[in-house]
Amino acid sequence: MEAALIWEWVIKSLILIFIVLTGFAYTTYLERKELARMQVRIGPNRAGPWGLLQPVADGIKLIFKEELTPAEADRTLFFLAPIITVIPALVLMAVIPWGDTATLGGREVTLYLADLNVGILYLAAISSIAVYGIVLAGWSSNNKYATLGGLRSSAQMISYELAMGLSFVVVILLADSMSLLEIVKAQAGLWFVFIQPVGALVLFITLLAEVNRAPFDMPEAEQELVAGYHTEYSGMKFALFFMAEYGKMIVVSAILATLFFGGYLGPGVDRLPWLGPLYLGLKIFVALFVMIWIRATFPRIRYDRLMAFGWKVLLPLALALVFITALGIMLEQMWLVTVLSLIAGAVAALMVNRALRRKEYAR
Amino acid sequence: MAQLDFYTLLPTVVLMAWASGLLIADLFIPRDRKAWTAGLAALGLALALGLTLAQIGRTGTGFAGMVTLDPFAVLANSLLLVSGLLAVGLSFGYLRRRDIDRGEYYSLTLFSVAGMMLMTQAADLIVVFLALEMFSLPLYVLAAFARPQPDSEEAGLKYFLLGAFSAGFLIYGIALVYGATQTTALAGVVTAVATGTASLPLLAAGAGLILVGLGFKVAAVPFHMWTPDVYQGAPTSVTAFMAAGAKIAGFAALMRVFVQAFPVLGEKLTPILWTLAALTMFLGNLVAIAQSNIKRMLAYSSIAHAGYILMALTAYANPQMRQMAVSAALFYLLAYALTNFGAWGVVAALEKQNGGGLELNDYAGLGRKSPALAAAMTIFMLSFTGVPPTLGLIGKIYLFRVTVEAGFIGLAVIGVLTSLVSAYYYLRVVVVMYMREGEPEASMDGWHKAVIALSAALTVLLSLAPAALFSLVSGATLLF
Amino acid sequence: MLEYIAIAVLFLIAVVLAALIVFLGEIFGPRHSTPRKAMPYESGMRPVGEGRRRMPVRFYLIAVLFILFDIEVIFFLPWAVTFRKLGLFGLVEMFIFILILLVGYVYAWKKGALEWE
Repeated sequence: MEAALIWEWVIKSLILIFIVLTGFAYTTYLERKELARMQVRIGPNRAGPWGLLQPVADGIKLIFKEELTPAEADRTLFFLAPIITVIPALVLMAVIPWGDTATLGGREVTLYLADLNVGILYLAAISSIAVYGIVLAGWSSNNKYATLGGLRSSAQMISYELAMGLSFVVVILLADSMSLLEIVKAQAGLWFVFIQPVGALVLFITLLAEVNRAPFDMPEAEQELVAGYHTEYSGMKFALFFMAEYGKMIVVSAILATLFFGGYLGPGVDRLPWLGPLYLGLKIFVALFVMIWIRATFPRIRYDRLMAFGWKVLLPLALALVFITALGIMLEQMWLVTVLSLIAGAVAALMVNRALRRKEYAR
Repeated sequence: MAQLDFYTLLPTVVLMAWASGLLIADLFIPRDRKAWTAGLAALGLALALGLTLAQIGRTGTGFAGMVTLDPFAVLANSLLLVSGLLAVGLSFGYLRRRDIDRGEYYSLTLFSVAGMMLMTQAADLIVVFLALEMFSLPLYVLAAFARPQPDSEEAGLKYFLLGAFSAGFLIYGIALVYGATQTTALAGVVTAVATGTASLPLLAAGAGLILVGLGFKVAAVPFHMWTPDVYQGAPTSVTAFMAAGAKIAGFAALMRVFVQAFPVLGEKLTPILWTLAALTMFLGNLVAIAQSNIKRMLAYSSIAHAGYILMALTAYANPQMRQMAVSAALFYLLAYALTNFGAWGVVAALEKQNGGGLELNDYAGLGRKSPALAAAMTIFMLSFTGVPPTLGLIGKIYLFRVTVEAGFIGLAVIGVLTSLVSAYYYLRVVVVMYMREGEPEASMDGWHKAVIALSAALTVLLSLAPAALFSLVSGATLLF
Repeated sequence: MLEYIAIAVLFLIAVVLAALIVFLGEIFGPRHSTPRKAMPYESGMRPVGEGRRRMPVRFYLIAVLFILFDIEVIFFLPWAVTFRKLGLFGLVEMFIFILILLVGYVYAWKKGALEWE
């Protein structure tokens, strides 16, 4: 029994890592194809049919690239930083439920690696570890661009983490549990996005900032910082940063889907539990598509505005959402939550609009 | 129940809320109207004082025995609030003159006073620690308030580092006490000792470390090193508040913790306290002689006065003497606080805008130039020395009587001798003021004058009729 | 407890994988380091001064504010789980807690701690 359990964990872990790795590879492909389509280009089309082998070719190329270490870099940290960055992206997957339980070869199998009773705390804790990798990468390179990129990135991530944590609180309030499985089950009647649409939006925005995606990709703003914290990285170490970024994109899509969009839930999933992973995969794909779409559409936000948005708009808004949700739960009037939070969101949008029209910004 | 909890802490809670509100209100008060902030701060202190006075005669505990309300706390709190009011009165004109009239000053003062008030009511070591941090953190900022002047920044940093260091001692002592008795409640410590479950050596070690931690705050030798530099570097109005407030709060905590929780350790702690008191009086008074800067001199004098109060505390473990020791210490604290505000007020008045005017020689000719100010300063110096007709004399006599009655005649002799030594440097100020020629310039606003006048008047008048004060402090019992 | 062992298994595999990927590059990649290649990249210019210089104090301020508010958020989590049991009392208590924090927030905002430039 013990041995079987351990093998089950190992197999599940391998599957999760496999999902993130292939997902990472094909998210880059998806991004290039989608961006190309939106910019009326063709995108990768040489390696394999429709360019499908492009990620493989990229990977092989990177293996045979020279690894450079700048002369005055802190070698240990320079070596460790990409590893520290990539591990959270892989480990975060552990608590995402892909389904309830299914039978496989006569054996009851849970479709998640671990269902922590403090699942959300785990997400918050692990996702903030990635900041270390990034700031260490920037610092250890002994490069001005890299240092500044690392600092900007960490400041941005911690600023948006506050609103992220508060939107987690909204979900906990609605589900009355911190276990992700319980949270998904609580959405069986109605997805939380319909109760608390603004909360879902806030979470989406903060998650974008958390993975440094456009329009929050300030740390890698190539016009000013070359490539930000990974300016000095090349070869497979660079690939690890890339992997962390795209792996985290997948993970945060999964988090978003789990917390607000019903996770693995979908029609018929009660009778056929194996549909769960399919539904979640679909939701992740949609979220990824939207993220890339946003990159193709929106220009990058200036850094001072980015910080101001996080501290002056998202934080108070998320705080208001928490209280609105708590109030609705206490009065047992869920429609109140929806209405009030939409009003709060509209007020916040108006404030942003007014601030942008102010003269001092028109520089 | 919950209301009763809050009632025990009502003045503190109101003051905290007021300080928070003031912090926000000040943001909307333009720089040239900071008088509003000062006025609001004084109003808050007065309100808290009123609430405190309304608590006279009430007793009780709150928050599951974490805080207590007794006559001792009421008296100490009133003293702290009056100190706060005097400090605000001194500050406004002074800050404006030094061009550091930022509104946070008053909020920080209020926060600090609230922390000190919590300290006098703490019936649990954890609350002692919390209160210590609560009143210390604003003081660190206040000490550095004359930013960007290097002296003041140095004072703030020094005070912060050593304060953090001493807080470490305190918390470590609390941990040891907890290890010895499995409780941090003062009453619980006594119970644990009585039932024999406590480990006495561990408890003694814990008490010793707590003594070190609080010794830093009251500036007892050998934990006094920060005092001269901090008192000198901090803006003078802050120094005045710090010298009085931190001492009152520190001694209040010392008295409550030691008298309530550690009477069983009397045998072990009495020699330590004896040595500390003797060292503090000796060193404070001797080093003060060598100072030519008036702020440093007063700093060493404040160390010396901590020694006198410690002298009374030496007798804390004796059940017959306990209440007298506490009363004598309170009386002396009261006398010291009044005199202290007056003396620092004079120093602040003579300080020039560039931070000069603090040398003893700058006081030459004050007797002719502004006789009233010189007369006031003379009264304060006499009171510090312990010469009639001042409150300082009565306080010292009370202290010596308690010490002698408790059987520490040697300590009392040291006290008297060092007092004689102190006459040299205190009276030197008087001599310089009246017998040397000079052109000192004093500048102060009405409130500043009022504070000095009030201190001087009270120092003299109260000494003429000390009976009322005696009954006041002997009624200030510690309840446990 | 079992869940955490499961996560530990995943963590171990992730560490091994990450290390493996780095070593893959170390093994197969060519190494012809020259002084020019090892120079910090500054768009072809010769770098002036240290790469790690003193950072703007703004970042420090943001970090301090973050600690304050992050603790607030962490305090929210257990509150949220037990909110249905606490009811109105919980809501009011949390409101007071937030009110105190808001004082600091408004202060920091008005003092310009949240501004850049």
